[in-house]
Amino acid sequence: MAAPMEVALVSDAAGPLCNCSVWELHSGSALPGYRGGNSGPRGLALLGGEHLLGAQLGKSYINVWELQRKDQLQQKIICPGPVTCLTASPNGLYVLAGVAESIYLWEVSNGNLLAILNRHYQDLTCLCFTDDSSHFLSGAKDCLALVWNLYNVLQAEPSQIPDPRHVWSRHSLPITDLCCGFGGPLARAATASLDQTAKLWEISSGELLLSVLFDVGIMAVTLDLSEYHMFCGGMDGSIFQVDLCAWPVQRDRTFQTERENGKVFKGHRNQVTCLSVSTDGSLLLSGSHDETVRLWDIQSKQCLKTMNHKGPVTNAFIVLAPANMLNPEGKPSVPLPKFSRHLHGTESSDEPGAEGVTLRLGLHQQEPGQSYLEKAERMYSQMYSTREKNLVGDQEHLTIQQKESLTPGTSGPRDPRTFKLPLRLRRDGGSGWGSLLG
Amino acid sequence: MTKKRKRQEDFQKVKFKVGKKKPKLENATDTTFKTKAIQIPEQLKEDGVLPTQNRKLNIKDLLSQMHHYSPGVKHNALLGLKELLSQYPFVIDAHLSSIISEVAAVFTDKDSSVRGAAVHLLQFLASKIRAEQIAPFFPLVSAHLSSAMTHISEGIQEDSLKVLDVLLEAYPALLTDRSIILLKNFVELISHQQLSKRLKSRDKLSWMLSVNPNRRVTSQQWRLNVLTRLKKFLQAVVDGSSDTEDEGLQEQKDNSHSVRNPVCISWKLHANNQQPIQLFENGGLRPKINSSFRLRSLTSVMDSAEKGLSSAENLKAFIEIIIPLLIECWIEASPAQSAPILGNLLESESQQLMQQVLSIIHLLWKLTKRHDETYKMELWLRMNYLVDFKHHFMRHFPYSLQDTVKHKKKDPCKSNRNCMKSSNNIDHLLLNLTLCDIMVSLASASTLQTDSGWLDMIRKFVTDTLQDGSKLNSKQVNRLLGVTWRLMQIQQNKATEPLIKAVYTLYQQRNLLFPVRTLLLKFFSRVYQKEDLRTQRIRSRSKVLSRWLAGLPQQLALLGLRNPELSNQLIDIIHSAASRSNKELLQSLQATAARIYDPLEGTLVLLPAEAQRRLVQLVYFLPCLPASLLACLSRCCIMGRMSSELAATLIGILHMRSSFAGWKCQVQDNSVNDVDYFSFLFSTLIGFSREELTSLQGIRGKPHISQTQLSPIRLYLTDLDQFLHHWAVTEVICHSLSTIPSQSQCFDILQTGICKYLVGLVVIPDSTAGSVLCAINKLLDQACIISENLHRFLASCCYSLLYFLLTIDREDAEHLQKRDMLWRSCISALALLPRLLRLMLQSLQVSRICREELPVVAQLLRLLMQHGQLRSHMITNEFLVQQIIKDIMV
Repeated sequence: MAAPMEVALVSDAAGPLCNCSVWELHSGSALPGYRGGNSGPRGLALLGGEHLLGAQLGKSYINVWELQRKDQLQQKIICPGPVTCLTASPNGLYVLAGVAESIYLWEVSNGNLLAILNRHYQDLTCLCFTDDSSHFLSGAKDCLALVWNLYNVLQAEPSQIPDPRHVWSRHSLPITDLCCGFGGPLARAATASLDQTAKLWEISSGELLLSVLFDVGIMAVTLDLSEYHMFCGGMDGSIFQVDLCAWPVQRDRTFQTERENGKVFKGHRNQVTCLSVSTDGSLLLSGSHDETVRLWDIQSKQCLKTMNHKGPVTNAFIVLAPANMLNPEGKPSVPLPKFSRHLHGTESSDEPGAEGVTLRLGLHQQEPGQSYLEKAERMYSQMYSTREKNLVGDQEHLTIQQKESLTPGTSGPRDPRTFKLPLRLRRDGGSGWGSLLG
Repeated sequence: MTKKRKRQEDFQKVKFKVGKKKPKLENATDTTFKTKAIQIPEQLKEDGVLPTQNRKLNIKDLLSQMHHYSPGVKHNALLGLKELLSQYPFVIDAHLSSIISEVAAVFTDKDSSVRGAAVHLLQFLASKIRAEQIAPFFPLVSAHLSSAMTHISEGIQEDSLKVLDVLLEAYPALLTDRSIILLKNFVELISHQQLSKRLKSRDKLSWMLSVNPNRRVTSQQWRLNVLTRLKKFLQAVVDGSSDTEDEGLQEQKDNSHSVRNPVCISWKLHANNQQPIQLFENGGLRPKINSSFRLRSLTSVMDSAEKGLSSAENLKAFIEIIIPLLIECWIEASPAQSAPILGNLLESESQQLMQQVLSIIHLLWKLTKRHDETYKMELWLRMNYLVDFKHHFMRHFPYSLQDTVKHKKKDPCKSNRNCMKSSNNIDHLLLNLTLCDIMVSLASASTLQTDSGWLDMIRKFVTDTLQDGSKLNSKQVNRLLGVTWRLMQIQQNKATEPLIKAVYTLYQQRNLLFPVRTLLLKFFSRVYQKEDLRTQRIRSRSKVLSRWLAGLPQQLALLGLRNPELSNQLIDIIHSAASRSNKELLQSLQATAARIYDPLEGTLVLLPAEAQRRLVQLVYFLPCLPASLLACLSRCCIMGRMSSELAATLIGILHMRSSFAGWKCQVQDNSVNDVDYFSFLFSTLIGFSREELTSLQGIRGKPHISQTQLSPIRLYLTDLDQFLHHWAVTEVICHSLSTIPSQSQCFDILQTGICKYLVGLVVIPDSTAGSVLCAINKLLDQACIISENLHRFLASCCYSLLYFLLTIDREDAEHLQKRDMLWRSCISALALLPRLLRLMLQSLQVSRICREELPVVAQLLRLLMQHGQLRSHMITNEFLVQQIIKDIMV
C-alpha cells in the first residue's frame, strides 16, 4: 500500500439512509457510507481502527459498525440516557461517553463500565483524549472544562470520587468544543465557548495561555497538527483563523485589503458545527448547520468543494483511513464485547483482582516478586505461542477467540492489543504523567 | 587785574583761627565706619576630591574618627557622617562598604549616645539604600547585630532591638534569611539555659525565663519588648515565604498566581495584524528568558543545608524551645496570676504581653502549615501542646467579658474609663480570636469527640460575636470568618448550620462596610462551592445557604447603581451558581429577571459595560424566557443603553436558546416560545415601540421630517448614533432570521408583521424603513409571495428614502453618513423585486407635484438607469420611464 489515504467522515442529522458518508479527501471520490440511524453532534468516533461508533441522536444507544461492513449496523450499545458526546481513546482501549452530566468510561476489551464521573453540573457537550490516551478533557454546559488523568480515574476506589487534574473555569458561557493538540500530557488544548472566546490552555500546568475574543459565539475549534493556527467556527458561519505564531519577518505585502480579510473563511450561512484539518495542514474541513460540508484550502482561504447534505451536519472529521475501511476482507481481531450498563465492581460479585493483571508500581518494595519485565516477557511468549496456533487455521482461531471472549476472567494470552488492556497502572500517591514531567 | 583775582580764587588761603574748628578737607578719609567679620561656613571650592561637612572633614576623616577612643569624637563623627551623607548622597554609593562596616561596628559601642547616633544614622541610611544594594554587606550587618543582641551589657542588648527594628522595617527579606541565628538570639534575650545537674541528665536542654535585676525596665516590660520584635520578625518570615496566602479566607486553589500571564487579544485587532500572537517562547526575534534559575543565592552565604524556618526540623526545634517560654510569660501575665496579687487587671502591659504570646504562636502555626506534611505536624503539635494550652489559655477563655466585668466592679464612677474600656474590648476581641485560631487548628474532624468541651466554648464565642458584630471592622471579620471556616471544616454537616446562621445574621445587617460585605460574600460563596463539590448523592443543602443564594438576585436588583463593585461580586456569584443550575437561585433569578432586565431602571441598563456583559450572559441560564421578559430585552437592545456589540451578543444568546439553533430531533425544552422569539426579532428589527411610533405621527416640519409629495410616507430623521446602533442591530437580526430553516414561512411572518404594524403609518423613522428593506432583501427567495399591500408600502418607502438621500445637504454631516447604507438597501430591494420598481415608477405622477421636486425625480431616474443591476429592469419598464420623462419635460 502506498501513502496512507486521508478520508473525511461526515454525518448529518437528516436520515437513517446514510448515517455516515465517507469520501476520499483529495480526489473527492465517495466511498460506501455506513447506514442505519443517525449520529448526534460530537458523537462519531473511530475505535482502534476496527470499529466505528456513533451515538444515536436523541436516543440512548450507540451504534457500532465494523469498519469493513458498511451496509448495516452490527451492534447497539445501550446507555442509561441519550449520549451527548462520545470519544474513543487513540490506543483503542477505552470509550468515553457523556450522558447528561456524567461521563461514562468503558474498557473496550471486556466491556466493563469502569467509572462514572459526576463532576459537571450540567449536560456534557464534548469529550476529547490527548493523543497518548493518558488524559482526557471534558467540556459541558456549566462553563467548565475539566482535565482528567485517565489513570487517576482508573485507580480511584469506587467509594471516592476522583478529582479532575485541572478545572478550567474561565469561560462564562457553555463550552461548545474542545481540541487537544499534539504531545500527550504536554499538549495544549483549545476550548471554544458561546461567550465569544476561544482559549488555549496548557494541559501539564493547567495555565491559560491565550484567550481570543470574537464578535460571535464560537461553536467549533481545531488546531492544525503543527499548532501554527487555531481555527474557530463562529455562530454566524464564518471560520476564523488565529495565527499562533507571528512571523517576525514580514516580507513586503502590498495587497493590504487582501491581508485584512485574509483570516476569515466565509461561505457558510449558518453556524459552523465541526472543523478538522488534514494532516499536512493544507486543507480544512468544516460542517455547518446550513446542511453543507465545505473543504477549504487554508493557504488561499478558498472553498474547494461543497458537499450538500440533507440535514445539519453533526460530525465531520478527517482521518487516515484504517486498513479495514478499504479492505472488505479485513476483520476486527476481536469482536466487541457487550458493554455493561452498571458500574463494574459494585454489582458484580467476583473480586476485582480476578481478571486482568493489576500492575502496582509502588508495590515492588514490599514484595520482591516477579518484576514487571519478567511478567511481560512471559506473557509475550505465551502470546506468540497462540499466534502460532492461530496460523493453523481460521476456524481454530475463531473458536479460541470465542472461548476467550466468553471467559474474560482468564489472564490467558489473546492478542497484543487486548493484551495490554487489563494492565492498569497504579502508582502509589502519584498523580500521573504530568506531575512527573511538568 | 583779572589775572590776579583769578589767581586768588584758585589759591585762596584758608585762615585758621584759634577757637574755631578746622574745616574738613575734601579728600579726608571718613573713618567712622565699623567693621564686622563675615563668616563663611565653608570654602567655595573644596580642595581635594572628597566633599566635606561643616567641620571640613571628609568621609575618610569621619570614618577614621570612628576608631577614636573617645566616645565624644565618635558621636560627633556619626553626626557628621549623617550630615555629610544627607548633603552628598552620592558619597553613599562610593563608600557603601566602609560606611556600613564602620557603622555596624559601633552597634556594640559602650557609650549609649554613640549607639543612639548609630541607630539614627542607620535609619537614615535605610531610607537611602535599596535592599539589593545592601544585600552583599548584610552578613556583616547581621553579624554585628547578633553580637549586639548577645552582648553581655544590658544597654547594648536593649539598643540592639532598635537596630533590629530599623532593619526589619527596611530589609525584612534579608533579615529573615538568617532566621536561625536571630531566633536563637531572641530566645537568649529573655531566658537562659538551665544548667542544673538534675536536668543535665536529659539530653534536651531546657530553657528558663531569666530575670535580670540590672535592667532599667521591669522584666515584664523587657519581655514584651523582645516578644514584640520576635512577633514582627516572624511576621516578616511568614509574609516573605508566601505571598499567596492571606489570613482567614485563603487556601483557594486558584491558579491565578501562575508564572505566565495569558495573552488576551481581541479578534478584530488580530485580524488586522495589529496584535500578533507569540505563543512559542523562542519564536521571536530575540529569545525570551524567563528562567528563575540562580547560580548562587545572593543573600544566604551560610551553608545551604541550613534553611531556617523553612525546614520542618528547624521549625520543630524552635517551637520546642519557644513555646514553654511563652507559656511561662503567659502565666506571669495572665489574670489568674495577677488578680490576687496586683488587683489591676487592666494593666495594659500584661495584656499586650498576652497578645504577643498568642500572636507568636499563631504565626508559628501558620509556618507549620507551609510544610508538606501538615497533617503530621498538626498531630505532633496536638500531642505536645494541647494539654498545656487547654490548661493555661482556655481556662479563662472569653477574656473580654471577664475583664470588663471586673473592671466595672472596680471603678464604676469613672466615666472616662468607659471609652478606654471600649478600646480595650476590641483588643480583647483580637486576643480571643487569635486564641481561637490557635486552638481550632489543633482540632480536626477525627478528634471532635474529645475536644468537644473547649470547641463548644469557641463556637459559642464565635457565634455570639458574629451575631452582634455589626461594628466590627474588616480585619476582625476576616479573622472571625477564618475561625468559622475552620470550625465548619472540622464539624459534621448538621453542626455547621448554627455557624452559617450566625454569619447570615451578620450579613443581613444593613449598614455594613463594603470590605466587610465583600468578606462575607466571599465566605458564603466559598461555603457554597465546597458544598457543591460533593456529588449529588451526598450533597446536603444548608437551608441558610440556599436562602442566602436565593436572596442574591433580589439584592442585585435593589442595589441598582449604588455600588457597581458590589454588584460585580454579586453577579459573579450568581453566574457561577446559575451555571451549575442551582435550583433555588434559578427560581429567584427568574422571579427577579423582569426587574434586572427592565429597560428603564433595571440593573442591566444602569451598570457599566463589563457588568452588562455578565448580565447578558446570565440570560442564557434563565430557565424560562416568557414574552414579557423578551419584550424587556428587546427594548434594552434598541434603546442604546447597551453597546451594539452587546446587543448582538444578546441576540446570539437568544438564538441559541430558541428552537432553531438545536438539532431537529433533539427534545427541545420549551423555554422560548417560537412566537415570542419572532416577536422579539421583529420588534428589535423595527427599533421603535408602538407608542413611540404613534407619538412620531404628530411630528411635522423640516428639521425632523423629510417629506415628499409623491409618496404618502414621511421619514422621521433619526440621530446618527441611534441610526448606527439600529443598523448594527438590524444586521444581526437579519442574520438570525436568515438562519431559520424554512425561509418562506419566516418571510410570511415578517410580512404579516409589517402589514399589521407599519402599513398605514404616515411617519416612519428612516432607520426602520431601511431595516425593513434590509430584512426583506435577506429573506426573499423564489418561494415567497409578497402581498400587494406590502408592495405598495415598500414602494413608497423606497421613494421616500431615495428622495431623502437625494435631498441631503452636502454640509449635513450627520445625515450624509447614512447615505451609503440606505442607498444600498434601496437599490438591492429594487433589483430583487422588479414589481417594486414598477410600482415606484407608477407612483411618480409628475404632473401632480410642484416644480421643485422635478430635478430630484430627474436625477433619480438618471441614477437608476445608470445602475448596472437595475438597467434590465428599467428597460422592461421603458414605457413608464418615457412617460415620466415626458411629464418632466412638459
